[in-house]
Amino acid sequence: MDILSHLTPMFFGLIAAGTLIGIIFGAIPGMTATMAVAVCLPLTYAFGLENGVALLLGLYVGGISGGMVPAVLLNIPGTPSSICTTFDGYPMAQKGEGERALKTGIVASIFGGLFSAAVLFFFAPVLADFAIKFSNVEKFLIILLALTVIASLCSNLLMGIFSGVLGVWLSLIGTYSIMEGGNGEPRLMFDFMEYYLIDGFSLLPVLIGIFGLTTVLLDAETGFKGDSERGRISLKGGKKFSFGVFKGQLTNLIRSSGIGTFVGMLPGVGGSAASVLAYSQEKNFSRDSSQMGKGAPQGIVSSESSNNALTGGALVPLLSLGIPGDSTTAILIGAFTLQGIQVGPLFIGNNMDTWYLIIIALIIANVLMFGIMYFAIRHIAKVIEVPKYILYPLIIMMCVVGAYAINYGIMFDVWTLLLFGIFGWVAHKIGLETVPLIIGFILGKSAEVYFVKSLESYGNYSIFFTKSPIAVILWVLIAVSLAFAIYLNIRNRRQAAVES
Amino acid sequence: MESQWLSLFDVTIDFDQSHLFFPRIVTWILVILLGLILVTRYRLLVPGLKHAGRVLAGREGEFDRKRFFGTLVLTTLYFYMMGVLSDVFPNTGYSFLICSIVFVFSLSMLYVGQLSRRLVVIIVLNALIAPAIAWYVLAQLFRITLP
Repeated sequence: MDILSHLTPMFFGLIAAGTLIGIIFGAIPGMTATMAVAVCLPLTYAFGLENGVALLLGLYVGGISGGMVPAVLLNIPGTPSSICTTFDGYPMAQKGEGERALKTGIVASIFGGLFSAAVLFFFAPVLADFAIKFSNVEKFLIILLALTVIASLCSNLLMGIFSGVLGVWLSLIGTYSIMEGGNGEPRLMFDFMEYYLIDGFSLLPVLIGIFGLTTVLLDAETGFKGDSERGRISLKGGKKFSFGVFKGQLTNLIRSSGIGTFVGMLPGVGGSAASVLAYSQEKNFSRDSSQMGKGAPQGIVSSESSNNALTGGALVPLLSLGIPGDSTTAILIGAFTLQGIQVGPLFIGNNMDTWYLIIIALIIANVLMFGIMYFAIRHIAKVIEVPKYILYPLIIMMCVVGAYAINYGIMFDVWTLLLFGIFGWVAHKIGLETVPLIIGFILGKSAEVYFVKSLESYGNYSIFFTKSPIAVILWVLIAVSLAFAIYLNIRNRRQAAVES
Repeated sequence: MESQWLSLFDVTIDFDQSHLFFPRIVTWILVILLGLILVTRYRLLVPGLKHAGRVLAGREGEFDRKRFFGTLVLTTLYFYMMGVLSDVFPNTGYSFLICSIVFVFSLSMLYVGQLSRRLVVIIVLNALIAPAIAWYVLAQLFRITLP
């Protein structure tokens, strides 16, 4: 039993530390679970794969859960996935039931987290076994499907697709790797850039720049107005929390956790979508939804169970197909790469110990999140009072560490961080979608290899349609996702026209 | 008949030029998509650019130019000086430590609203202690490469 040898005090300590730091990040408005994972990634250089992943999973679970604190107390979602928690959490806090609202959310969160861990454990190996049979054609189509699904769920389909393709284009800068069967020739750059960009842009400085520095720049332009407006928060008084609040909520818990897990599996679809979908379903199907939006615990239950269920769900495509389920798992790919492990269909079979440790870490992170937040929520709530003039300089400092250490000390990676921080800010201003861009960037090189190898083997473009029944099914799914996006677009326009 | 039709889609990839095959396709898709975006949004483009220009110039909207451009300038200086000092103190992390202390202090001073003696003390202590802890934990304990 090699697994037991990994279950050291260090392993548990790192999960606890990760969960606590994640909760703090999530509790500070504007700072997300993705940022927490990106900023703390350099710490994993010093640990092995198992301990490093334990820390990052703690950060992930903590970061998603911590978002409920400002959502309830300030009416500001700490992370996008807590958006629907504000609808009922804040009205409860205004009635003096802040602690009750938070504890309801904490219990719902652990249910969602454990539910998705179970789905991950049973479903990911099945999907991976199925995906092992894929040839380069199907692998390329899977990536195409992932990008289409992400783009189709963006607010603007055209901008979503453009962002995804731009991400792919950026990933192709550098040489066509000989290791992947390429000819080793550079492309998409001027001669003087070859020295710096021979291997293209490193993934982590790009991610840290877009998710770390861009956030700081976006807040800097507002002059940190929200900082001064925060008052002291009191959780005392009002109705006390009891587990009786969950009476009759089992269906809500299971349905919302199921929705969160499923949404997590869809590449690039964020926690906010899971939260909104679960909340609206509870509103549609519950016997009494009249109080939702005015301070009903059932609203918090649906939102928090769904967003925590996202964590396990997002790991399913990552560990079985090598495709990140959301922006945070995109950074986890970086952590695996750092340790020399490639995630994909062969990952689980070739790394059984690591696979079991990931499940154990995910379960422990959820249990610790519950313990820390349930018993120390009054202290954690104070975190939202920490001013950003203290935090943000430290965030940039940690971003530098992450970017510099990724390739063992290359200053160009630090400049990449700045370049993509500014690029992320510009992208935000002109309406580019960050998530498809990042997923396109991560999958772009693989897409090239699968596409070119397919054509080199078969010599005809029609192979992408005729290779196998799976290829046809994938094309049908691509068409359905595009049709769904066009339908949503038309419906939203009609609604807007009616409202105006 | 069918094979004739399918032969229209035949393709041969020259290995010497294979590094350009996929990037060319992606670039063309990107150009076409950009064209579509410009065509569908051309009415918003010129007013949008003018608005952005006015906001950046401080003539419209609530754009905190001091903090935004200050962040960019300080961050650029931080990175540049780190590179310069890392040649003076190679492989020690001292360049990171020195530059981070100055940077954290400067950026905190830029971001803070109303200054008081108590706030200055907090900012100074934060600027001294946090980079020192980061340097010690990362460079000394975990042996992570720092500039």
